[in-house]
Amino acid sequence: MLHASTTRIAAVAAGLVVAGGVAQGDSHGITIGYAGGFTGYLAPYDQPSLNGVQLALDQINEAGGIMGMPVELVVKDTRSDTAQAAVVAQELIEEGVVAMIVSCDVDPAVASGVMAQAAEIPSASSCASTPSLPAAVGPYMFSNYTADNLQGAVLAEYARGQGYENAYILLSRDTPYTEKLPEYFGEAFEAMGGTVVAVGEYTMGQQDFSAEVTNIGGLDPSPDVIQTSAYEPDFPAFIKQLRAAGIDTPVLGSDGIDSPTTFALGDVAEGVVFSNAGFASPGSALEAFEMAYEAKYGTPNDTVFTATGYDLMMVIAAAIEAAGSTDGPAIRDAWDNLENVQVATGSITYKDQNRVPVRVVALNQVSGGERVHVGDFSPDPSMIPAP
Amino acid sequence: MDILIQQFVNALSLGGTYALLALGLAMVFSVLGLINFAHGDLMTLTGYTMFFAIGAGLGLPLAVVLGIACATLAAVAMERVAFRPVRDANTATMLLTSLAVSTILHMLFQNLISARPRAIPVPSWMIGAVDVGGLAIGVIQLMSITATALLLIALSIFLRRSILGIAMRAAALDFPVTRLMGINANAVVATAFGLSGLLAGVAGVLWLAQRGSVDPLMGFLPVLKAFIAVVLGGLGSLAGAVVGGFALAFIEVFLRAFLPDGWLPFRESITLTLVIVLLLVRPEGLIGRRENVR
Repeated sequence: MLHASTTRIAAVAAGLVVAGGVAQGDSHGITIGYAGGFTGYLAPYDQPSLNGVQLALDQINEAGGIMGMPVELVVKDTRSDTAQAAVVAQELIEEGVVAMIVSCDVDPAVASGVMAQAAEIPSASSCASTPSLPAAVGPYMFSNYTADNLQGAVLAEYARGQGYENAYILLSRDTPYTEKLPEYFGEAFEAMGGTVVAVGEYTMGQQDFSAEVTNIGGLDPSPDVIQTSAYEPDFPAFIKQLRAAGIDTPVLGSDGIDSPTTFALGDVAEGVVFSNAGFASPGSALEAFEMAYEAKYGTPNDTVFTATGYDLMMVIAAAIEAAGSTDGPAIRDAWDNLENVQVATGSITYKDQNRVPVRVVALNQVSGGERVHVGDFSPDPSMIPAP
Repeated sequence: MDILIQQFVNALSLGGTYALLALGLAMVFSVLGLINFAHGDLMTLTGYTMFFAIGAGLGLPLAVVLGIACATLAAVAMERVAFRPVRDANTATMLLTSLAVSTILHMLFQNLISARPRAIPVPSWMIGAVDVGGLAIGVIQLMSITATALLLIALSIFLRRSILGIAMRAAALDFPVTRLMGINANAVVATAFGLSGLLAGVAGVLWLAQRGSVDPLMGFLPVLKAFIAVVLGGLGSLAGAVVGGFALAFIEVFLRAFLPDGWLPFRESITLTLVIVLLLVRPEGLIGRRENVR
């Protein structure tokens, strides 16, 4: 009974997504697949990514498609399930996709990626940020999103530039992102002459950070800066309890907290600096993207995952154009040699990067409930911790 | 010593939220033998109600009242629509029904509202701390401890003094015999669900004040914690659920505070191991009675 009712709901949900997701295309056009988690725990990331992909697709088709051929997107829901991610990838391969976008999280991305790898179809995760992902699957797997080690290095460079000597890092081993990014930060921070005085650990979804906060208050030497990649609901709970305990140490976060919640936190979030994939300064491509997004969807964009989804579709289009063919190995080689592809968040380069792109990292500060641009950074490659 | 007392207050505050949730689960379990896994989603409903109420300019106090009322009504509706038709089926059917209700709610939230979290602004006075004899107690912590204490007192009066309350306690001991005494089963069950919704609503408000946002899946983890608390306290015992909630919070907070760094990654496993050891020593739970173990 459960089976029947959940399956029906899943089918309805998948139907909604697909109905919204499939572009009208010539059956002789180019087909791109998206095996994403549009329901379940990845929905907060893959749904906005899909919106961005869709917007890019509209623009590409309006401009005449890829190599003059219309582009069609086939969207299938993995329900954020790793086993389903492999099944769905196989279905997409059978439908003849020439490139595949896979889920935002590493595990389902690997599950889909190995199927695409075996079929020699290039694939890329919409927003997984673990830099070791492409190497884990093979030469047909690419990253799209700003890698964790890149963000960690930029945050460390900023922290040292502010004269911070001692850092406290708070991590969670529940996901590679919440564990590795703070570790990359710590590694880069120490390589630049700083000291990590203590490492705290939390469990994702833990409501109560009082034990960790009490420990931070008792540290000697007390830290000059706290870095964490916790995001909601953990980050708001942590910073509220930290500030309530009277600890005003500066806090550095990463792109996970780039969300309206952070800006609605009020005084406690004041001064928090976080990294993300770009800042929509006046006249920038990102500002143009935001305007096009609002025009298409009727609501303002509230996350950067839409822009990075848009970027990925543009990268795939550039790779196919450069290959001049829809042959998998040719697209793969062209993709691996892309340089300075102009996208919504700036420019992206894959050449000589082992399929983990170099893209800009922006630092932003929360000020009066608004986002203030600290600057765009591309750290010295020697300072980026190895994956 | 100061740190010890501080952590004690921390555990008391977290335990309050666990206790409220566990008590809600235990109320329904005591009359129906059902662990309602959609219980956490009532917290999510409270969150969305508050989000829309604040968005409509109703102000925080009214939003809180509406949020709790919505969770209460939703719990009663859930019973009427989903659980009453399968009340006489076996417990596995009811358990699966509750998982189905939970999944359906997740899908509806994700597809009709948003998969992305929605911010619930918390006024700045709630974020400060009060100095009590050298201890910094957060305002939210203080509210959580107070709300739990008041609700527990009110509930125990209700359960001891009102006919429905006495009927619920009787139903917890033996539902068929309670019905033979002329007590309306539907009224008892609906009251149990209504109260569980009320408790989930209050716990939801306290939790939302800490986390500052509502998202479709936020109810899942708390219901798991509450489930552990209920089992630890003793399935079928209302007092046991409260004790279990506090016990779980004390174990969690003190492990996080005092485990050496190298052991921190294992804190959850140590917590659950301690729970298992406690259950091996007292299989009926901390205050469960042997005849209540189902």
